[in-house]
Amino acid sequence: MIKITDLEKFYRTEEVETIALNKLSIEVKKGEFVAIMGPSGCGKSTLLNILGMLDDPDSGSYVFNGVEVAHFTERKRADLRKHNIGFVFQSFNLIDELTVFENVELPLIYTGVPSAERVKRVEEVLDKMQIMHRRNHYPQQLSGGQQQRVAISRAVVNKPKLILADEPTGNLDSSNGNEVMELLTDLNEQGTTIIMVTHSEHDARYSHRIIRLLDGQTVVENIMI
Amino acid sequence: MIKDFIKTAFRTLLKNKGFTAINVLGLALGLATCMLIVFYVIDELSYDKFNTKTDRIYRVNSDIKFGGSEGSFAVTPAPLAVAFLSELPEVKQVARFRSWGGFQVKKGNQNLREHKVVYADASIFDIFTFPMIAGDPKTALKDPRTVVINESTAKKYFNTTNVIGKTLTLNDSLLYKVTGVIKDIPKQAHFNYDFFLSMQSLPESKENSWVSNNFNTYILLKKGASQKSMEAKLPKIVRAHVGPQLQAVIHKSLDDVEKGGDYIRLNLTPLNDIHLHSNRVAELNNNGNIQYVYIFSAIALFILLIACVNFMNLSTARSSNRAREVGVRKVLGSPRKFLIAQFLSESILVTFVATVIAVLAAWVLLPLFNQMSGKELMFTPGTFVWLAPVLIALVVVIGCLAGSYPALFLSAFQPIDVLKGKLSSGFKAGWLRNFLVVFQFSISIFLIVGTLVIYNQLKYIQHKDLGYKRNQVLIVHNVYAIGKQTKIFKQEIEKFPNVVSATLTGFLPTEGNGNSTTFFQDHTMDSKKALSTQLWSVDEKYIPTLGMKMISGRNFSKDMSTDSAAVIINETAAKKLAMADVLNKVLYYPADRYGKVIKPVHIIGVVKDFNFNSLRENITPVILTYGDDWGAVGIKIKTANVAALIDQIKDKWKALAPGQQFDYSFMDADFDAAYRTEQRMGTIFITFTTLAIIIACLGLFGLAAYAAEQRVKEIGIRKVLGANVSKIVAMLSYDFIKLVLISIVIASPIAWWAMQKWLQDFAYRQNIQWWVFALAGIGAVVIAFVTISFQSIKAALSNPVNSLRSE
Repeated sequence: MIKITDLEKFYRTEEVETIALNKLSIEVKKGEFVAIMGPSGCGKSTLLNILGMLDDPDSGSYVFNGVEVAHFTERKRADLRKHNIGFVFQSFNLIDELTVFENVELPLIYTGVPSAERVKRVEEVLDKMQIMHRRNHYPQQLSGGQQQRVAISRAVVNKPKLILADEPTGNLDSSNGNEVMELLTDLNEQGTTIIMVTHSEHDARYSHRIIRLLDGQTVVENIMI
Repeated sequence: MIKDFIKTAFRTLLKNKGFTAINVLGLALGLATCMLIVFYVIDELSYDKFNTKTDRIYRVNSDIKFGGSEGSFAVTPAPLAVAFLSELPEVKQVARFRSWGGFQVKKGNQNLREHKVVYADASIFDIFTFPMIAGDPKTALKDPRTVVINESTAKKYFNTTNVIGKTLTLNDSLLYKVTGVIKDIPKQAHFNYDFFLSMQSLPESKENSWVSNNFNTYILLKKGASQKSMEAKLPKIVRAHVGPQLQAVIHKSLDDVEKGGDYIRLNLTPLNDIHLHSNRVAELNNNGNIQYVYIFSAIALFILLIACVNFMNLSTARSSNRAREVGVRKVLGSPRKFLIAQFLSESILVTFVATVIAVLAAWVLLPLFNQMSGKELMFTPGTFVWLAPVLIALVVVIGCLAGSYPALFLSAFQPIDVLKGKLSSGFKAGWLRNFLVVFQFSISIFLIVGTLVIYNQLKYIQHKDLGYKRNQVLIVHNVYAIGKQTKIFKQEIEKFPNVVSATLTGFLPTEGNGNSTTFFQDHTMDSKKALSTQLWSVDEKYIPTLGMKMISGRNFSKDMSTDSAAVIINETAAKKLAMADVLNKVLYYPADRYGKVIKPVHIIGVVKDFNFNSLRENITPVILTYGDDWGAVGIKIKTANVAALIDQIKDKWKALAPGQQFDYSFMDADFDAAYRTEQRMGTIFITFTTLAIIIACLGLFGLAAYAAEQRVKEIGIRKVLGANVSKIVAMLSYDFIKLVLISIVIASPIAWWAMQKWLQDFAYRQNIQWWVFALAGIGAVVIAFVTISFQSIKAALSNPVNSLRSE
């Protein structure tokens, strides 16, 4: 599903050039659950942003579903992104002014799903995530675990082929964290490919494979059994 | 989708109640003020427009320089109208007005004093649009002793408008037949009369004197005729008609007069320009002033700009808080146009709500504004016909303008940058906001300086030594109504213990009566030694009653029989005469209209200059003669119980003049009334300046709140490292105070220049003092500091642990 080859990304300030990704090559197959780990500054988030088409690489190749996307325009990337990729962030990134229902509905609006269909799909997802009873609440009225459930609902409502999760349990206590990991595992079992950046060895154990990065390079890949 | 935008906009606005309130309130206040001023300006600009032929109507004016003084007059000689009609083919019709002060009009047994009376030619109905309810405009005013009155007057005197053929008695003896009733003339007319007496009733109107100017003459041009080509022909008219009569009176040709630098010129003022652009001697009414229209329009624009700037500033400031939302939306696939639409719908929504509040506020405040401005403005269904589209356009324009920055700027960012918070430094658009704050405060400081200068000038006028004492002087008007016993009335009043003295004359400095003539230094009437001057008949009590000072010579005396041929001149006249010693010198003046009778007088004294014109004008020469004028009695009084004294005087009046209206005023109040326009303008200016400053402060308040919010982490760290409250407050205030200081530097010279120009209109003025700028500057800094302090102290007092944890 995803194949990156010799990917490079630099961050430049006036005086310093930092290498975030250094000729990185990774392949992720359809249906995989991959965890990316490494110390702060190793390039995990940069990699995730490029995989999510939020950022573009300086050089190298990124093939998504058989299409080279490394040098796509912003518009094309946005289009590809909204139909194929769901995001889960550490800080949830829910919109405070929208209710639970409206937050989850948002991706459907942007992909032009008709209103009746939207209601049906959002309700379905909220039901599955067991937060239907909170549908008219605002994010501030929810616990961290509930907020992340909403975020995950929002990420999956469009039925994306890939979910990118950036430290999804980082802001949660352990029991809420475990619940979120269970949810991701369920999604993966239903066929969604998941790539997750994490600091937590515990969370990483839910994945099939751990890619460890250091200074923008792969140092080791562990296959989980 | 639009529903979604509006829903989100509503929630965002409700969530940030403080910012929303500041935005809505500031904008509403600005719009309401602006609306009131626009009503005022539109009213001023609409004068005389009700006349259907307004574009072809002109007034003929005279500009005359003679005998050392020059003047611009709204009046012309009586025979000019006929000459225009017969000699200038462009002229379709002419009409004259001759104002004659007030009349007593009998209603039952009572005589009512009417001031809005004028003599008019029958042709006024061909020129002006005065719809007639009863009577025939073609024949009304054709005959002597006929009168056309307006609807209100008909109802006032006869309780009906069916009054054709009825009679009105004027001044107890003149019977006028009503031949027409017109609709009341709209308020927006540069003259407004209740009674039009037929010109045929006035012998003066038939005289062929080209050297006396008493008639306001209006002409209607034929279609296609131009003002310019008309004006080119006017010198010929002057030469043909004024020239010969001048020769007869002063024995000099017009050429000789012009060689000496003097002139007599005619020109035209379009009817549309009279109200705002004409300020001549003998206008039919007090006109407006285009300057005030400009000043108020500028203030309206300033206030609207300040309010819009607030709105923009707060929107851009707040937009960084929206960055995360924008990022999330973009990650989820929102196209840029959706984001732009969302931000714009928010700002348009705010503008809309503010506009609705503004309309309501303007509606509620209109009576107050009318009181302040002396206008009678109203909200009518007609108002909304033009107001609604203007407001809708305004809502869209202001909404888009204020929302444009966040809409275009934020929506253009890469979502990853926004989510990473990379924008916080570069994207605050500090320079734009700083520029806008400087702009706002420059305007505020400009307005503060303007207010101080106007206030000073008004105070100066009120306290200026006028050369006479106007306090405790009671004036009884129209004493000629008493008839032969007028002098007895005055003598009886003088006997009251609370009366210091009384003078019988209509030529009191606040009465506005004038009688101009020309004096000559020798009997040959050499125009080189001519002095154009006022000639006032007064009695021997005039100077002591008004507390005037003699500089040399003596006052008139009852005991000096030669005083009937004596004059007292004012300082200005003495200077213009340029004689070594004016006392006992003889002057000559024409005692009739045609200059056939020359009267010699000798100067017995010089009185200190006193103001009788507006303080906008320099004092002109005045010559006082010892004679009778029964216009009014000026009474110097010395009592706290003024009401009782007035009752006493009124009783005396009733005994001597039964049935005649008793009309009195106080000289100081009359004086103040002469400056009512200035005072009104002053009040309006001060009010709007205050509003402008309040609106600017609202914005600053919001910005300070935002700045404190943005720097909450920095404040926390500084506090942890040992900064005390005052240091933090100083740090937060410094950024804003710096901007106010820059504003002072920018606004001061502009304000100085503009106010200098305004003051130039006054012959007597208080120059702009340095402290005005100091006060305005310090005021602005203090106001800004207090405004910011609310926020900065709050931020400085907050617990650093909270702010650091939240980061």
